[in-house]
Amino acid sequence: MLKQRLIDALGADAVKTEAEDLAVYAFDAYSQGVVPSAVVLPASTREVAAAVKIAKDCGEPIIPRGAGTGLCGGAIPARGGVVFSFARMNRVLEVDVRNRRARVQPGLINLDLSKRVASDGLFYAPDPSSQKVSTIGGNIGTNAGGPHCLSYGTTVNHILELEIVDENGDVVTTSVDDIGYDLTGLLVGSEGTLAVVTSAWVRLLRQPETVRVWLAAFDDVNAASAAVTGIIGAGIIPTALEMMDHVMLPAIEAAFHAGYPTDAAAVLLIESAGFEDEMNLHESEIGRIMKANGATTWRAAKSEAERDALWAGRKGALGATGRIAPNYYIQDVVVPRTKLPQALQAVEAACGSRGIIAGNVFHAGDGNLHPLLMYDRGDSKQVAAVIEAGNEILQAAVDLGGTISGEHGIGYEKRDTLTRIFSTDDLATMARVREVFDPKRVLNPEKIFPAGVGCAEVK
Amino acid sequence: MTVDELRETLARCDRDGLKVSVEGGKTLSGMGPALPRADVSLITTGLSAILAHEYHDLTCSAQSGVRVAQLNAALGKHGQFIPIDVPLRKKATIGGSLAAGWPGPRRHFYGRARDFVIGSQVALADGTLANAGGMVVKNVSGYDMSKLYIGSFGTLAVFTHLNFKTLPVPKKRRALIAPLPEATRPRAIAQIASLAVTPAAAFCVEGFGKNVDGADDVDGRVLLYFEGTEELLERATLDTRSALGKAGVPETTIVDTGAAESFDRTLDACIANKRGRSITYRLFGPPGTAEERAERLRDACNRRELFTDVLLDVMNGDVFVRASERDARRFADKIEACHIELRELEPRCAIVASDAAVRAPFEPWGAVPPAIEKMRAMKARFDPHGTLNPGRFIGGI
Repeated sequence: MLKQRLIDALGADAVKTEAEDLAVYAFDAYSQGVVPSAVVLPASTREVAAAVKIAKDCGEPIIPRGAGTGLCGGAIPARGGVVFSFARMNRVLEVDVRNRRARVQPGLINLDLSKRVASDGLFYAPDPSSQKVSTIGGNIGTNAGGPHCLSYGTTVNHILELEIVDENGDVVTTSVDDIGYDLTGLLVGSEGTLAVVTSAWVRLLRQPETVRVWLAAFDDVNAASAAVTGIIGAGIIPTALEMMDHVMLPAIEAAFHAGYPTDAAAVLLIESAGFEDEMNLHESEIGRIMKANGATTWRAAKSEAERDALWAGRKGALGATGRIAPNYYIQDVVVPRTKLPQALQAVEAACGSRGIIAGNVFHAGDGNLHPLLMYDRGDSKQVAAVIEAGNEILQAAVDLGGTISGEHGIGYEKRDTLTRIFSTDDLATMARVREVFDPKRVLNPEKIFPAGVGCAEVK
Repeated sequence: MTVDELRETLARCDRDGLKVSVEGGKTLSGMGPALPRADVSLITTGLSAILAHEYHDLTCSAQSGVRVAQLNAALGKHGQFIPIDVPLRKKATIGGSLAAGWPGPRRHFYGRARDFVIGSQVALADGTLANAGGMVVKNVSGYDMSKLYIGSFGTLAVFTHLNFKTLPVPKKRRALIAPLPEATRPRAIAQIASLAVTPAAAFCVEGFGKNVDGADDVDGRVLLYFEGTEELLERATLDTRSALGKAGVPETTIVDTGAAESFDRTLDACIANKRGRSITYRLFGPPGTAEERAERLRDACNRRELFTDVLLDVMNGDVFVRASERDARRFADKIEACHIELRELEPRCAIVASDAAVRAPFEPWGAVPPAIEKMRAMKARFDPHGTLNPGRFIGGI
């Protein structure tokens, strides 16, 4: 009945129900859920609305999915349902150069938007490392960040209007310029639990006149952390401020030939963008801070090609872990910037005591750590040890005044840890929002809120 | 008032069916209708402590009754600030400013004030305290509840404290002010929008007299505010003079000492009220249509022979139009027809400044947004007894 109704509404090409087609949609980049009952590939808002109504009628959960690059199980069907893929809603609908904005469909690949508007001197700022494949819709779901959100802000800062389909299949629009509650701001980062996004007006920025990228190497990771604090403390907010450690540097260099020193304890990749005069000032000031903190190497990328190579290494870092171990588990926690040394020590302690190799590639300027815990999935003892260590790192971040996710989201993986940072009253308040948008919990169920806890129980 | 006293008061009012008027510095009290019934005024200015300034982390936390200027003065001791651009910032509280969701003119440059809020604590209608976010600059742990409370006009919850990320104070600020004859306006706006060095804020102003800086004998003027390094401001000055020159603007005055105060005066003008004889409307929209929208509103006021002052935010597209008369009686005779016409032309224009009695006959917020039913449901879920500012906000929420 479900299958036939979906086919009647969307056409046979837009509905998948064969086992071999469905299997792949049980996964995201992190974990495995349950094989869904169906996958739909709507081509329009109208089709999304129709499919939502049918799924709800049939008592099937609704799971919006971007490119499936999520790292916390946010897009997996935790208890089956209908997965909504936006692979056919992947267009730029309108570019408004004068007002520096664009209207896009949710399945548009992040990087494709910047490519599309480059000739107009514009770009779309949020740049998760997955930007070559991840979609704007998925980025909206997780409020995705990326290296450059240090200066430009995360996805929510760049969303002007949303068109959504709610749990009843009704189409509603929200705008940051609406007088009334800021539903746009609330929907971004709600991980598909409140509505299905069908289009968005996004903000575009003007390309900077000059971009400079510098590399600084250190013999000691604490010195690199101190240098990060030094830059921010000097009143300079670079567009990106990234750190990579001694575990990751050789692997990345071998994979990408990015030009990183392989014998350093830590490397900082720093980018600043703006006007030539400003960049000259930043270069001299940042250089002074690097040297004062004991940088063993300090150099600027001399060409666009060199700059791109330095970034390719950083953005491809996760792929390089294959040179260290068959599998990796990536944690995503945030601490106050000045607590980075303690946080890195906590990672070392949690992993070292369990014999786990841990690499670090992260957004140092934001205090957003991404420890990469290397393991072999075939070894159940290693799997158990990695889960324990990840948990310990999470708690360390909370104990340092931080939080349990900076940009990947809560999804399925972290929902039971939300109680570490929020009280029952705090969670009950969030649950009120869920009740307004999705009282029956048909939209991406089993995500964000702790397991087995319904709205009534949260209260 | 302490946080405990605030939550206890709310709990009692909610239990006893009393209606609560939530008030900060009352600087934006010219917005929205008067409360149909207010049994208790809950004034948050007693929550006046700056709780933390972690200046190495670029974060701070302050109670909701702290004045905007007071907070920025404290942050300034360590060379930091938060761009909360509201009128009357010496009096405006941070809680009230964010609850009112006033969108500042530097939002295209730094981001909206809401984007600087990294955490908050609110008291709900029943007195429950609820926390959101945290004290780190990046956080996607659960719903960002602060976003819901910001701009909710105190109808969902009352802020007790807010956590912010901060910015380094720019090394220098400069205002460039020039007369703007009417014929040059469209060209000047186009030139400003395409300046290579983006102004932190830019306004075209007609009228407003001495509320806004400029020569007394010239009615139209353009005001640009730049923030950055000395070198950048020098380049901005050269570029702006050249660009405005091409648009036919004759001369540009540089204001360095007093640039910040000039900016504040322009913000204040947005709600400058002539007692009993003016209403100021605000209309959002894309920057590219601002001139056209301003023209429509101005012409409607002129047709009713009302005096018209116009302030146009070039970078964000906000339009402020103040309609006024020489005396209250003449104003009362003309404003009703004018208001009806303005709403026909621009259903979403909202009243942001006027005396309560003057705006009482009119619906002040304008057309309801498409998601109003979700908003009503949110109000019902967060404040089921209608305790907090009931009926003060759009659509009667």
